[in-house]
Amino acid sequence: MEYLGQYKAVYKAKSGCEDILAKSQDGGIVTSMFAYALETGIIDGAIVAGPGSEPYKPEPMIATTVEELFEARGTKYSISPNLALIKEATRSYGLDKIGIVGTPCQIQAVRKGQLYPIGLRDVPDKIALAIGIFCMENFPYQGLFQMVEDHCATKIDNVTKMDIGKGKFSVYTERGVNSQIPLKVTHKYEQPGCHVCLDYVSNMADISTGSVGTPDGWSTVFVRSAAGEAAFNKAVEAGWIIAESMDGVKPGLELVEKLATEKITKNQAYLEHRLHKDHPALKPLRNPYI
Amino acid sequence: MSKVVEISPTTRHEGHSKLVLKVNDQGIIERGDWLSITPVRGVEKLAIGKTYEQVPKIASRVCGICPIAHTLAATEAMEASMGVEIPDDAYLLRIILQAANRLHSHALHDILALPDMYIPGTDTKINPFTPEEPVRSVAKRIQTLRMIGQTIGEIVGGEAVHPSNPRVGGMYKNITPRAQAKIFDLAKQAIPLARAQMEFMIAVFENYGKRDWAEMCGREVAIPKDFGFHQQGYMAADPMYGSSSLDEHPTWDPARWLEVRPWDWYMGEEEITMDDPAYPVGGTTKAGKKAWPQMQACTGVPLYDGQPVEVGPRARMSIFKNYDRKGAIGLNIAREMEYMDSVYKMIEAADALNTSGSTVADVIPQGDGTIGWAANEAPRGCDVHLAKVRNGKVEWFSMLVPTTWNFPTCSRALTGAPWELAEVIVRAYDPCVSCATHMIVLDENNKLVAQKLLE
Repeated sequence: MEYLGQYKAVYKAKSGCEDILAKSQDGGIVTSMFAYALETGIIDGAIVAGPGSEPYKPEPMIATTVEELFEARGTKYSISPNLALIKEATRSYGLDKIGIVGTPCQIQAVRKGQLYPIGLRDVPDKIALAIGIFCMENFPYQGLFQMVEDHCATKIDNVTKMDIGKGKFSVYTERGVNSQIPLKVTHKYEQPGCHVCLDYVSNMADISTGSVGTPDGWSTVFVRSAAGEAAFNKAVEAGWIIAESMDGVKPGLELVEKLATEKITKNQAYLEHRLHKDHPALKPLRNPYI
Repeated sequence: MSKVVEISPTTRHEGHSKLVLKVNDQGIIERGDWLSITPVRGVEKLAIGKTYEQVPKIASRVCGICPIAHTLAATEAMEASMGVEIPDDAYLLRIILQAANRLHSHALHDILALPDMYIPGTDTKINPFTPEEPVRSVAKRIQTLRMIGQTIGEIVGGEAVHPSNPRVGGMYKNITPRAQAKIFDLAKQAIPLARAQMEFMIAVFENYGKRDWAEMCGREVAIPKDFGFHQQGYMAADPMYGSSSLDEHPTWDPARWLEVRPWDWYMGEEEITMDDPAYPVGGTTKAGKKAWPQMQACTGVPLYDGQPVEVGPRARMSIFKNYDRKGAIGLNIAREMEYMDSVYKMIEAADALNTSGSTVADVIPQGDGTIGWAANEAPRGCDVHLAKVRNGKVEWFSMLVPTTWNFPTCSRALTGAPWELAEVIVRAYDPCVSCATHMIVLDENNKLVAQKLLE
């Protein structure tokens, strides 16, 4: 399981709150964890991908109440620069214990910022809970817009949910017209930066979660750090989250590992390619992991 | 026959300065020159041609102790030149920022001043870094007060050092109600600490004022009764915040200000004729070397009504609160007495603040080249910035910073004191030298060539 990082425990889990599940992507783990942490004071505010000015173009926002948190439910397949708010959260928002959700690269940035707080004075000790999500790749907003509007032939304003699973990109609308395109079509819209990423399951997060490996309506949850373990166990005890063992769950961790291996080997090959060993005329590009 | 002694560099204050002292046979100073030898920053020249948004940010980089005062003074100088009126909530945020800066800076000064002082009732000097009581709890209290000042500065200003939130036209962001509550909590935490700190420090300074001697260079040096007295006037714009040319009744007058060059003010070239290897740390400059204050001084000499004036806590207290204690000890005590004001001011301003109010002016004119000035009462005294803005670009910018005003005044206060204790007088002014440094142009023979350029 070398590509799944270090973890204390792994669960099949979903939210214990019907309101959250009604509009969540899968198990509603991120929303439930932050809602529980906000209610119990583990965090006093969470940086989440809130609704932006355009549909499905997320903008980072700081949620300090459960109501604000609910506005940010569901996955947006375009990146939300959550780290942009991490300093402001400790400043004019006056937060002391921050929760942050992010893709693996964003969680790496959080941890790097904690190690080398350049431009982040007095921020590192205020990050209380970092939740990472599984991420294969991400789309710039223009790319996502084109996938939905052109390939799926759907007006993006009408979309109620987007989903990637089982090799397909699916779009659901209010009017009941759903469309699916094979993932192969979407590859050219991916962000180029995603192709050098060697992290699939947010190895650096306190808790990482995603839909892969568990049945519909459930999420796979890796509990990684002591802080994450304490918060997760309390949330389960309080009933905010229903957690079950991963034993015997189909498709289970095998699928998570398969996808992680797929992403990382593919990206490692791309990193090799970037060195341009066979083409001395081309400038070798840096491996961002070194 | 008077002798010349040089203490270079002076220690336990911000920046780089030195003392050139003419002393009589008893070691009493006949004439003292205290001058800045910090390399020039050149901020006033860098500012020319920049936009009005850039200049306050550049100006704040002159120093890391009171960047808040420089940001606010420069921002308001731009606003004064352009005629921008800021919303009330932005003004309240600036007052909180100002008070937070003063709280942290005064606490920092306590750490720097304490090693000269004695534990009352004993002949033991205070080492603020000793783990022994009562000093350890004082040091912890000082650090807590600094933490509170810096944290509030961070919340309101975006950054405790070089605040990012102030802008021409107000403030970029208002704070949230949660941040407002945090300011209340921190300020209330500071009230008993600041009061205890003030009372402790006043007791320590009073004790020093009553002593007959202080130990220096391994001997007992007599402390005169008029230790650090001078006959110069005081200048202050406001007890807490400041004034600008937009005010209905401005409290500073550019027509009364004149700046002369150090060449016309300080001593000429002198040979050092006395040294003392026992002076901390490493002794004074060796006899036989040369000192040339009028050439080496990197400051201008600003005069108010044709005389050097004192700025700082005592100036504020004298002008607005009838404080009349003279000398180095009187100045130190005045500074301690400002602790409570800065804490209560934060609470008052946070109370009056509307967290959903607008903090940016609706209209920001781009400036027509009028001269505007803003005087900000920095922890060390009145910090005046002057600017001319035309079409969004800064045409001229000048900073008259607190320690520049204090250099010639403090030099006069040195007369009559034993030379070994000259630094105690200098430290009473809580000098912040780096921002006091102005530009000097020298040719290849080290001759001053461009005095006029600087005016």
